[in-house]
Amino acid sequence: MTGPGAGRDGPAGATRSDREPAAPVAQEFRGRNTGELVMTVALGALGVYLVLDAGTIAVPGSANTVGPRFFPYLVGGLVIATALALGYRVFRGDRGPADESEDVDPTAGTSWRAVGVIAVAFLAHALLINVVGWPLAVTLMFGTVAWALGARGIVRPLLAGGITSIVVWVVFVKALNVALPGGTLLEWATSWV
Amino acid sequence: MMDALSDLLGGFADALTPVNLLFALLGVLLGTAVGVLPGIGPAMTVALLLPITYVLEPTSAFIMFAGIYYGGMYGGSTTSILLNTPGESSSIMTALEGNQMAKAGRGAAALATAAIGSFVAGTIATLLLALVAPTVVDLAIGITAADYFALAVLAFVAVSTVLGSSPLRGLASLGVGLYLGLVGTDVLSGQERFTLGIPQLSDGIDVVVVAVALFAVGEALYVASRLRRGPVQVMPASGPYMTREDLRRSWKPWLRGTALGFPFGALPAGGAEIPTFLSYAAERRLTKHPEQFGRGAIEGVAGPEAANNAAAAGVLVPLLTLGLPTSATAAILLAAFTGYGIQPGPTLLTTESTLVWTLIAALLIGNAMLLVLNLPLAGVWVQLLRIPRPYLYAGILLFASLGSYAVNADPLDLVILLLLGGLGFLMRRYGWPVAPAVIGLILGPIAETNLRRALAISGGDLGVLVETWFSRIVLALALLALAGPIVLRAVRGRRSTPEELQEGARLRHREDEREVRR
Repeated sequence: MTGPGAGRDGPAGATRSDREPAAPVAQEFRGRNTGELVMTVALGALGVYLVLDAGTIAVPGSANTVGPRFFPYLVGGLVIATALALGYRVFRGDRGPADESEDVDPTAGTSWRAVGVIAVAFLAHALLINVVGWPLAVTLMFGTVAWALGARGIVRPLLAGGITSIVVWVVFVKALNVALPGGTLLEWATSWV
Repeated sequence: MMDALSDLLGGFADALTPVNLLFALLGVLLGTAVGVLPGIGPAMTVALLLPITYVLEPTSAFIMFAGIYYGGMYGGSTTSILLNTPGESSSIMTALEGNQMAKAGRGAAALATAAIGSFVAGTIATLLLALVAPTVVDLAIGITAADYFALAVLAFVAVSTVLGSSPLRGLASLGVGLYLGLVGTDVLSGQERFTLGIPQLSDGIDVVVVAVALFAVGEALYVASRLRRGPVQVMPASGPYMTREDLRRSWKPWLRGTALGFPFGALPAGGAEIPTFLSYAAERRLTKHPEQFGRGAIEGVAGPEAANNAAAAGVLVPLLTLGLPTSATAAILLAAFTGYGIQPGPTLLTTESTLVWTLIAALLIGNAMLLVLNLPLAGVWVQLLRIPRPYLYAGILLFASLGSYAVNADPLDLVILLLLGGLGFLMRRYGWPVAPAVIGLILGPIAETNLRRALAISGGDLGVLVETWFSRIVLALALLALAGPIVLRAVRGRRSTPEELQEGARLRHREDEREVRR
């Protein structure tokens, strides 16, 4: 359904991007193209996975109605067709413009370091929650993220994260009865509430 | 029609209790405060605040939600007027002239025309919603499962191809969302699908987790990767509020914006982006002060802002009457409904009549509160815009963690949150729009159920999908929406960007000039 139709706009798109002024940002383009190809290949892999794994879904009972495999096959087909058409376009030089946002500097290169630090901090806090409680885990995460984004000092980010997380924890757990482990110390300190 | 009015009055009676008014106020304040924060659009506002409503009973929760919904919309426009940087797509048009007005010392007037325009458009469009909804329900009672599937396909295609820069990337994003929607136990046959043998996945991936991951975590990671360094530049909301002259120039754009926004929101046509574009273009053509466009024309703020809010109300028509989300925000609202065991659809207006009319009344109340609150509170919102960015994005992650962990109290949800947040980051980085993924996730399972129901009745004959005229027309529209942008692009070159529209849509010329220069 999407494959042939979507492929048709390939040449038009390619001509368009050929016209872009290329010289000063050529380096950036090459990097992005690899990334786009990786995204497309990943999309194609998702499609193949969908189709292959759909074949292993058990189909119970009578076979005369459409079973649990039909829609996954459909989605898998759509994803593969999209990946093929997108791959064709990317090979012809089509690029997706990166998202714009209020705080994004469109001229800055990607800082993989900041992304990596934040991802690790977030993963660590996910694993720490049940050990040290949500407020402490999230304070450490808050401090690391703020530091990675260029906040000055170490004490202030940690203090800001600590106060926010404790206030939020008290409001949500004591007032709204949300289940959120507070950690031994905080739970003991607020046990009278 | 009289029925609708008396039902609406009944809704007011339910919504106008002190406690409910308090929840409406809380929702409006929270929605605006979170919506004002840069980098947080209406969809993310609703996703982040969704867990708060879990602890409330449905009526209060939806009253609060109504406030959050309109408050988030309003907050977004404040951001786009006072920050000289592009934000989410539906308030880009507001920003074009709004920035210029703020720069010229007329920030207060820009905020005022946006606030009053939002109020006018929101009120008219919400009343239209109240009048139209019962009629749509009457029509919708007769639609078959195949018809519903066709509608879902149209919503998929519209959201994927209309939003974003590239229809293919929209479809790619949709495919990812459909996949995420497939993970879990199949409702009709009870079989596990794509769970990778992880027991927690057999219930499916929680919608809140996916929405918060794609919007909040993805955005935080993306901004972190390319953070604008240096001090934040917030323009002052200075100058007089509306003068008589401003009002004279604003009221027609408000009404025209409403007329454009509501139908586009109500149809599965991709939400608020297109009507704000159209409204801006219309005001530019109709204005008596064409020389001011690009230098802070008040019509260019009044029209798009009204269109934006009218579309937000219009989106509720298919959501409440058909259970069909046509924007990312609506998809999250649908998830909120189902979280309370309420299934929006043609029967909602009869089974949950009180709830729906209270919700609509709460929308009108929240809208009035926004008008009263926001003009005096503009200074507070300006302060929020100054929050140092490291703290802002660390805080977004803190609340993302809170919301996702609170759903199931399972750290695995946070790991999924991070993985999907990484996906959201890559999607932003490579220009894949996020909204189709959210729509695919939430509407995908509904589409599948209807497809299989239709095919079960026909005994597997695919012809059933085009049996009625309704589904034929809707599928034809979907095909048109899929092929249309491609054909248009082949004929006309790419779509004009907001900046080009501001300069007078000299799209072709610009490309030609560039050729000449080379």
